[in-house]
Amino acid sequence: MNRKTIFYFTSSYPTHEQLLKFISSVDGEVVKYVELGLPSMNPLYDGPSIRKTHSDALRNFHFSHLAEYGSILTRKGVRPYLLAYYNDFAQRGERMLDDLADAGFAGLLIPDLLIDHADVAQSIIASVQKKLEFIPFFNPATPDAIVSRISGMTRSWVYYGLQPSTGIEIPYDLAEVSSRIRELLPSREVNFGFGIRNLDQVREIMSLGSDGVAIGTMIIPMLTGHDLEAFLKFQHELGEVAVA
Amino acid sequence: MFIYDTLMPINMLSSQEKELIPENWYNVVPDLPEQLPPPIDNEAERSSIELLNRILPKEVLRQEFTFQRYMKIPDDIREIYEQIGRPTPLVRARGLEQFLDYSGKIYFKYEGATVTGSHKINTAIPQAIYAAKEGVQKVVTETGAGQWGTATSVAASFAGIKAKIFMVRISYQQKPLRKKIMELYGGTVSPSPSDETRFGRNLLKDNPDHPGSLGIGIGEAVEYALDHDLRYLVGSVFNSVLTHQSIIGLETEKQLEIAGEEPDVLIGCVGGGSNFGGFSFPLIKKFKEVEVIASTAAEVPKFSHGEYKYDYVDTARILPSVKMYSLGADFVPEKIYAGGLRYHGAAPSLSMLVKTGRVATRDEDENHVIQALKIFSKTQGIVAAPESGHALASAIDYVRKHKHEKKTVVVNVSGHGLLDLSIFRDDK
Ligand SMILES: Cc1ncc(COP(=O)(O)O)c(C=O)c1O
Repeated sequence: MNRKTIFYFTSSYPTHEQLLKFISSVDGEVVKYVELGLPSMNPLYDGPSIRKTHSDALRNFHFSHLAEYGSILTRKGVRPYLLAYYNDFAQRGERMLDDLADAGFAGLLIPDLLIDHADVAQSIIASVQKKLEFIPFFNPATPDAIVSRISGMTRSWVYYGLQPSTGIEIPYDLAEVSSRIRELLPSREVNFGFGIRNLDQVREIMSLGSDGVAIGTMIIPMLTGHDLEAFLKFQHELGEVAVA
Repeated sequence: MFIYDTLMPINMLSSQEKELIPENWYNVVPDLPEQLPPPIDNEAERSSIELLNRILPKEVLRQEFTFQRYMKIPDDIREIYEQIGRPTPLVRARGLEQFLDYSGKIYFKYEGATVTGSHKINTAIPQAIYAAKEGVQKVVTETGAGQWGTATSVAASFAGIKAKIFMVRISYQQKPLRKKIMELYGGTVSPSPSDETRFGRNLLKDNPDHPGSLGIGIGEAVEYALDHDLRYLVGSVFNSVLTHQSIIGLETEKQLEIAGEEPDVLIGCVGGGSNFGGFSFPLIKKFKEVEVIASTAAEVPKFSHGEYKYDYVDTARILPSVKMYSLGADFVPEKIYAGGLRYHGAAPSLSMLVKTGRVATRDEDENHVIQALKIFSKTQGIVAAPESGHALASAIDYVRKHKHEKKTVVVNVSGHGLLDLSIFRDDK
C-alpha cells in the first residue's frame, strides 16, 4: 500500500448529493487525506476554477454536510481536514473546533493565517491544537525563520503550496522550490500542492522528495460534469503513479 | 562659501575592479520578518496572475515565483554589467562632510556612473536579454522621468531587439532631450496617454491634455504588449527587479569591507522601491543593527499618507494586485520635478519592512531637495538626479541632526541629473 494522494473538494460542490457520491468513491488505498474547503465569499488565494466552486457551493452549503463527509472518510481510514479561510473560521469561532472534532475531522488548515493574520497566528494555532491538528501552510515565499518557528509550534504534516494560487500555470523552478523546503524540514511529512496539472508533474514532484501531492483543480471538471467514472479512472491512475 | 581643502578623493574605488561585481543576485523574500503576501487576481473569472505569462519574459516570471535567495548572474549578463560601468564607485563624500562639518563619515554609492546614468540599467539588461532569448522581437515599457525608458532602449539595443516606450505626457513635453536619447538608442517613444491603446484613448477622450502618470503608462504598455504579443519590461515594484538591483548593495558590501567600514545608516529614495531595495536589502541582511531610511517625495507621500493594502499595480488594472503601501491606483500626482517618484505604490517587500518598522521613512519637499542637489553639486561635483536628491536631502538632514555623533552614513545616489537641469529654474 502506498497512499500518497490528498484530494481537495469544496464542501457541497457541485451539490451535496453529488459530492457524497465522489467521497464515497474515494479509494483508501490511494488517498491518505481529504481536504474539504469551507465555502468562502473571498477565497483569496485560489485560482478562478476553485473560486467558482466556492461561490456556487455557498448556495448549497450546510455545516452538517461536513459531518457526513467526515464519517464516510474516517470509515475508509482516510483522514478528513477542513480548509477554512481565516475570516470564515473566525466568524464561526472556537465552537467550530468541537463540531469538527465530533465530526471526525483530524485537523484544520488556514491558508491565509500566516499571510494576512500573522499577528494572531500563535494564539490561533494554540487553540486549534487543543482539539485538532493544525496544518501549517507554507509556500516558496515563506521566510526561513517563519518555517522553523511555525513548524516548531506544530506536530502535524505540512502543506507546501508550490505557487501563489491554485490551478494556474506559472513558470517556477520546481527543483529549487522543492529542495528549499526539504532542507528546512528534512524529517517532517511535507505534502505539495497548488497548481498540479497532470500525472507527469505528480511523478516529478514525488521524485523531488514530496511525501504526497494535493490535487484540487484537476478534479473540478469531473465534479462539475457529475462524471464519477472519470474520477474513478483518474484515482486509479494516481494509484499507479504513487506505487511506481 | 565652501572650499575643498584637500583634492585627494580617497576611497574612490576603481571601476575596473570587476571582481567587485557579485556572482549572485540576492532575493530578500526568504529573509523577510513575515510571509510576503502573494499577488492576487483582480476579477473572479480570470486570473491576472496567469495573464503574466503573456506579459513578462518567461525567465523573469520564473525568478519572480521561485524566490531563490541567491541566484547566479549568468556570465553574459555579468559581462555586460562590466561594459556599462559596473562596479559603480562607492565614494567617501569628503566635500559634503566638510561642508556639513560632520564628525562622522558619509559615503555615497554612485549609480549615475553607469552608461545610461541611473540604476535602471541593472534590471533592463537581464530582462531584455531574457526576452530576446525567448525569441521576442520587441519589448514595451513606460517611463516617467525617462531614466527607465533610456535604460530599456539601451538594453534592447544590446539584446538586438526593438523597444517601444510610453512616456508620461508631462515629461514628454518637458523633456525633449530624454526623448532624443531614447531614440538615439533605438527606442520609439509615444506620449502617454496615447491613442495607441484602448485605455489611453479613453483617458484622452475625457481630457485631451491629460498629464499622464506612471500607473497609466504601465497600463498602456501592458495593454500594448498583450495586443501585439510582445513582452513588457518592468522597471520597479516586482520582486525580480529588486533582486536584479541587489547588485548595488552587494557591491557596496564588498566596497565597505575593503574600506574597513561598517555602515550605521543607509539612505535611499523610493519611487517603486527598486534602487532602495537593491541597495539596502543585502546590507540589512549583513548589518542587523543598521538604521535604514527611505525618502519619498512629499507630493507622493505613499508611506505617510498611503494605506498598506492590496492594490492595483497599474491604473488599467491588468497586472495582479499586490499588498503594498499605496495612495490608490488612480492617484495622479502633481506635476512634480522628480518624475521617477510619481508612482502611487511601493514594492511589497519594502512595504512590509516599512510596516514592521525595520525601515523608517521621510517625505522630502521640493525646496529641500533642490537645496540638497545644489549642495551636493558644489561639494562633490555631481549633479544628482532629482529622485536621488530626496536621499541626499534626508542624508543632509540626518547628519545635521547627529552632527557630533561619529556615524557612518551611506547614501545611494541612484542617478545623475544632467538631463533634468530644468528643475533649477528661477534661481531656486
Ligand atoms: C534616478 C532614479 N532614481 C530613482 C527612481 C525611482 O525608482 P525606484 O524606486 O524603483 O528606484 C527613478 C525612477 O525612474 C530614477 O530614475
